[in-house]
Amino acid sequence: MKDIARQSMSIKVESMDMLNAQIKMEAHASALYLAMASWCEQNGFFTSAKFFYKQTEEEREHMMKIFNFLIDTGGNPISPEVTNINHDYSSIVDVFESTLEHEIKVTKSIHNIVKKARELGDITAERFLDWFVMEQVEEENTIRDILDMIEVTGTEGVGLQMIDNQVAEWID
Amino acid sequence: MNVILQSTYYTLYQATNERCFYIDFGQKKIRMPFCQLLSLRHKVMSIDIEDHFDSDLNTHGFEVLTLCNKEHLFILNTLEVLDLKNLVEYGFMAIGLSSKTEALNL
Repeated sequence: MKDIARQSMSIKVESMDMLNAQIKMEAHASALYLAMASWCEQNGFFTSAKFFYKQTEEEREHMMKIFNFLIDTGGNPISPEVTNINHDYSSIVDVFESTLEHEIKVTKSIHNIVKKARELGDITAERFLDWFVMEQVEEENTIRDILDMIEVTGTEGVGLQMIDNQVAEWID
Repeated sequence: MNVILQSTYYTLYQATNERCFYIDFGQKKIRMPFCQLLSLRHKVMSIDIEDHFDSDLNTHGFEVLTLCNKEHLFILNTLEVLDLKNLVEYGFMAIGLSSKTEALNL
């Protein structure tokens, strides 16, 4: 009997399910960073707003990278529902700390998928995620550097304005 | 056609010559290209069976399932949903696209 299923799809369905969950997570991140851009615009942090507009685009690109991978492997990518986006932040420090927390969640999620793909013997899915593992190192590092800069600059006096100006260094 | 898996109410077949699958739902046998089988899996696995035991969330204990781009419509009771979930879960194991240990842990 011919293996029609394997001819139609080249990854395991469990990997597909996890990657669909990751699509949702990336879409959530994109929406979250858009909410942060909105907060920054409304509170006078215009350079930080630009930074988050860039981040929101990047997260959508990540989402589409996974979406297209599922198409290429014969899977069933699901367009995600995004709800519960927080728009309330107590300060610009809170915004960047929340960003780092979210990036750490994304990193953990990707590592978890890599581990599961390895358990399943799904080499295709595992190798596809190599790029995401290294991308997360860069994402976390960027936010950590910004938080370090905020700490060094301080938030007293013109500190907040200086912080916002310096965020420009992390906008490519 | 080759039988891949038979559950209490349903049978999954592979039609090698047509490069597709069939599911016998009792009342009718439905032809499914692989992408439709994946779509069925998503719909069935997305059904929260816990809702069937909460009269506020699912008053009558039925699910409406549309298949193959709304070409077919089924109304399934709780037992039929559970059986279809089993067919999908173990069917994908049988066709080699799901890990046995992983599926058994579900």
